[in-house]
Amino acid sequence: MTAKEDLRQAFVVASYELRKYLRSRRLLGMAVLLALIIGLILGLPPALGSAYPSSPNAFVGTFAGFTSLLAVLCGVLFAADALCSEHEKRTGYFLFPNPVRRETIVLGKLLASLAASWLIVFLYYGVASVAALAITKTLSWEVALSAVYALAYVACVTGVAFLLSSILKGTISATVLTFFLFTLIFTIVGALLQVGKVSPWFLPNEAAGIISNVLGTSSGPPGFGFVPDAATSLAVFAGYFVIGSIVATVLFRRRELKT
Amino acid sequence: MTEPIVMKGLGKDYGTFTALGSLDLTIPAGTCFGFLGPNGAGKSTTIKILTNLIRPSRGQAALFGVDVQRKPTQALRKVGTVIETPEFYGYLSPLEVLAYAGRLRGMSKAALAARSEAVLKTVKLTGWGDKRVDTFSKGMKQRLAVAQALLHEPDLLILDEPTSGLDPRGMAEVRDIVKSLKREGRTIFMSSHLLGEVTEVCDAAALIDHGKLLLQGTLDELAKRAEATLFQAVFLAPLNPDELVWIGGLPGVKSATDSGNGVVEIHLSGGPEVQAAVISAIVRSGLPLTAFRPVGTALEQLYLEQIKETAQ
Repeated sequence: MTAKEDLRQAFVVASYELRKYLRSRRLLGMAVLLALIIGLILGLPPALGSAYPSSPNAFVGTFAGFTSLLAVLCGVLFAADALCSEHEKRTGYFLFPNPVRRETIVLGKLLASLAASWLIVFLYYGVASVAALAITKTLSWEVALSAVYALAYVACVTGVAFLLSSILKGTISATVLTFFLFTLIFTIVGALLQVGKVSPWFLPNEAAGIISNVLGTSSGPPGFGFVPDAATSLAVFAGYFVIGSIVATVLFRRRELKT
Repeated sequence: MTEPIVMKGLGKDYGTFTALGSLDLTIPAGTCFGFLGPNGAGKSTTIKILTNLIRPSRGQAALFGVDVQRKPTQALRKVGTVIETPEFYGYLSPLEVLAYAGRLRGMSKAALAARSEAVLKTVKLTGWGDKRVDTFSKGMKQRLAVAQALLHEPDLLILDEPTSGLDPRGMAEVRDIVKSLKREGRTIFMSSHLLGEVTEVCDAAALIDHGKLLLQGTLDELAKRAEATLFQAVFLAPLNPDELVWIGGLPGVKSATDSGNGVVEIHLSGGPEVQAAVISAIVRSGLPLTAFRPVGTALEQLYLEQIKETAQ
């Protein structure tokens, strides 16, 4: 089995995963959510009689405030059940006896998950940028940087979601834990660390502050003084993604289909 | 030529429970081999090791000379499998399921289209090719499982209870498919707990129970070894206790038990000569014997006897 053949098979797996997102209406669901967020951000100021922010950074900063949530939802919908569902739903009995390596299956699913999640983020920042250009008549590099950090954060969430999916038995537990890990557990741990005067730089949700900070806005909870820097944040995102993906692959390879 | 399946000292433990002891079994090319045993005997465990779904605790399994654990993708290249009743991705149609399997195996578009049509016709799912699988019954999914196993025209088919979940007509159809594949010279390794199914379809069989291989051979060899020992003698009227004791005391009779309504179950310890002697003694005694027949087939008796022995 050559690397070229592995890659070909990974793309086959990815194409069927993408078909799953389309047919199960997960992509549609995310698109609807995206439309709702964008509609609210663009529709509320005129409805309330207030003006839009005048600078592109401040304008896109409103959008960036929701990016973390969007990234977590992408992880929940496109990654959390990717591996454990093959065992829980017994589809592994069809997939695994084919001459395809488990590592290739994980790679294919990871590619699909990243493609779907990045598409959502691209769309989000695309609309935000076009709206910023239309309203403020200008754009800045910081908007592009914020988008890049958002893409990196999505990869980080995906890596962790894959790790949970390779450890947990049920799709529901993997989905729920992925959601609460990023929206609640990491936040609580970060707060406790700061109370203990320990910098929470290594927590992905804290590092995700860079997505808003680069625009000169902050999405973090008030009262906490941690300000991430770009290099550390990117390293944290990369670390979670790489380690999460590798450990998920090893665990998925070792996991037996017993049920 | 390398044998399609070779298992050497193959075993699997789950903690302290031994699902499979130490299995040595070789399946020659072109054989339709039945892998018999009651539920929980270790059949599925063996098949899951062969198809790289679980790892063995000891021993080796090779398909066409390639170690399944060390080089699974190479080992499974010429193999088609049906393991239990697999679930398919509900959002796909049978044609898409087949395309998925075919594309993973590197089949060309033309080959895929031709083979998909052929295998769906074989399993009688032609009209369902573009319907979503999540609307299918268990039996239809089982047919689809058989179809995907046949898609790439494998040299070896590993079937784990392939008629499980099918109605009687579906069972007969799957057996007919297996028989036609046998005629094409493919090697088939088929697990089943149905003795009748194995005797109808297979050339050779192995019996396994509690993770141990009890016996193996061609069906002819097994039939010769399996002399019927349990018989039913039917009389016009029920026998009295003295008559029953008398039958029980005949040479070669291990026991005689009244089953009611003039039926006596007689357990013999010898072959056809003993049968003839017992029948003739009963007839000479004037007892109104109307029938004398074996209970089930000889192979069935051997199967049940062996399973009883391992249970003890």
